[in-house]
Amino acid sequence: MTGPAGSAVPAWLGRLPDALVHPLTSNARLLAAGAVTAVTYVVLVLGTFPEFTVQLLASDPTDLFYAVAALTRETYLTVGWVGLALVATYAVLAGVAVTNAVALLGRARRTGASTILGVVPGVLAAGCASCGAGVLGALGFVGAMAALPFQGNLLRLGGIALLLFFLGRTGDPLTCSIGGER
Amino acid sequence: MDSEGKITRRRAIAAGGATALFGGGVAYVATRSESGESAYTPETFHTGEGTTVFGTELGGRPVAGEREAPVDIYYWTDYLCPFCKRFETETLPEIGRTYVDTGDARLVVLPYPNIGSYSMPAAVWSRCVWRQVAGSDPAAFWRWHEAAFEAQSESGTDWADEETFARLTERTAGVPADAVDSCRADSAGSIRDAIETNLGVAQSAGIRGTPSFVLYNRDADASGKLVGAHPADTFSNALDRVLAA
Repeated sequence: MTGPAGSAVPAWLGRLPDALVHPLTSNARLLAAGAVTAVTYVVLVLGTFPEFTVQLLASDPTDLFYAVAALTRETYLTVGWVGLALVATYAVLAGVAVTNAVALLGRARRTGASTILGVVPGVLAAGCASCGAGVLGALGFVGAMAALPFQGNLLRLGGIALLLFFLGRTGDPLTCSIGGER
Repeated sequence: MDSEGKITRRRAIAAGGATALFGGGVAYVATRSESGESAYTPETFHTGEGTTVFGTELGGRPVAGEREAPVDIYYWTDYLCPFCKRFETETLPEIGRTYVDTGDARLVVLPYPNIGSYSMPAAVWSRCVWRQVAGSDPAAFWRWHEAAFEAQSESGTDWADEETFARLTERTAGVPADAVDSCRADSAGSIRDAIETNLGVAQSAGIRGTPSFVLYNRDADASGKLVGAHPADTFSNALDRVLAA
C-alpha cells in the first residue's frame, strides 16, 4: 500500500495480469467467474430501464430473454458500440473481481481478523465500481443516458477503472506478499 | 487433482472461447434488427377532443380507431426514440388489428419529445402533417408516421434533421409538402407551446419517457400504465384487464 509515489501506479498495474488470470486456476473459479459475468451483464442491461423490466418480468418471468435482448439493442442504439462494449467489459471484470474477492476473503478468514479488515476496502471498491454503470439505471430510461456526458460512457469507464484498480491492488489473491502490501 | 491451482491450457481455451461467445452474442443481439412485421395502418381515424383523465389536451391529436371505443390507449412517443420504433414494428401491428380495428380500443398519439435536439421539431412536423391530412386522407398521416420511424439510423440521433424530415414528407403519398411547410412557418411556435404545456401535464402524471402508455377504460374509470416496448402478449393482457374492469 505504501511506497514512493512514483512507483505506486506501476505496482498495481504490474500485479493486474496475475489477478486477471486467477479464475483460470480451477474449474470452479472459472465457472463462478462466468456465472457472475452473465448475472452482472443481465443486471446492468435490465437496469437501464428498470420500470419496463419490473413490469415485464412481473407479468411473465419467462420474458427475461426478451427483456435482455430488447435492452441490449436499445443500449446499442442509444450509446453505440463503445457504450455497449464498456458494459460487456465491466461484466467480465466484475466476474473476475468477485471470484478474486471470494478467494481473498477465504484466505483472510484463515489468517485472522486483521487481514479481513485489510481486504474490506478492496471488496467495497469493487462494489462501488458497479455504481458506475448501475447508477445509470436509477435515472430511469435508456434515453436519459443520452443527456449524460459522453452518453454515460465516462461513468462506465470510471467503473471499469475502479475495478481494474481493485484487481491490480490485490493481484493473485492466493499469493502472499512480503511486508503486508496486500 | 494435479491441475488444481494451476492455469491449464484447457481452462485458458475455455475462458477465451466463452469470452468470445459472450462478446459475439452481445454483438449479434445488438445488431439484430426488428422483425419487420408487415406494416400496420389503422382502418379508421378521427381527431381527438377534450382532455385525458389527468388533463392532457387531446384536441387536434391524431386518434386511430373508433370514437366510441371503450378503452383509450394514450401513447407518448418521440420519433427519435428507438424503443418506440420497436413498439411500432413489433407490438402495434398485432395490438392494432386485435383491439383498434375491432372497435375495442382507440390509440391516441401524443408527443413526448425527450431524446434529442430534433425531437421537438419532429413533433411539430407530425402535428402539421396531421392538420393537413386529417380531413381528407388521414391514412396519409400514418404513412408519414411510419416513414419517420423507418428513417431512424442504427445509432445516435444525428439522422434527424430538417433535410430528412423534408424528404420523407415529400415522399409520403397524400401529404401536401407545401401546406406542411406553411403550417410549420406559421404555427411552429404555438404548436411547440402546446406540446410543452402538455409535456408538463404528462410529467406531473408520472410519465417520464418514451414509449409510455396509459390504458383507460372511460366507462369504468379504470386505468393501467405500461412503460417501454412490451411484447404483444403483455400488452394484450394489460388491455384485457382494463377492458374487463
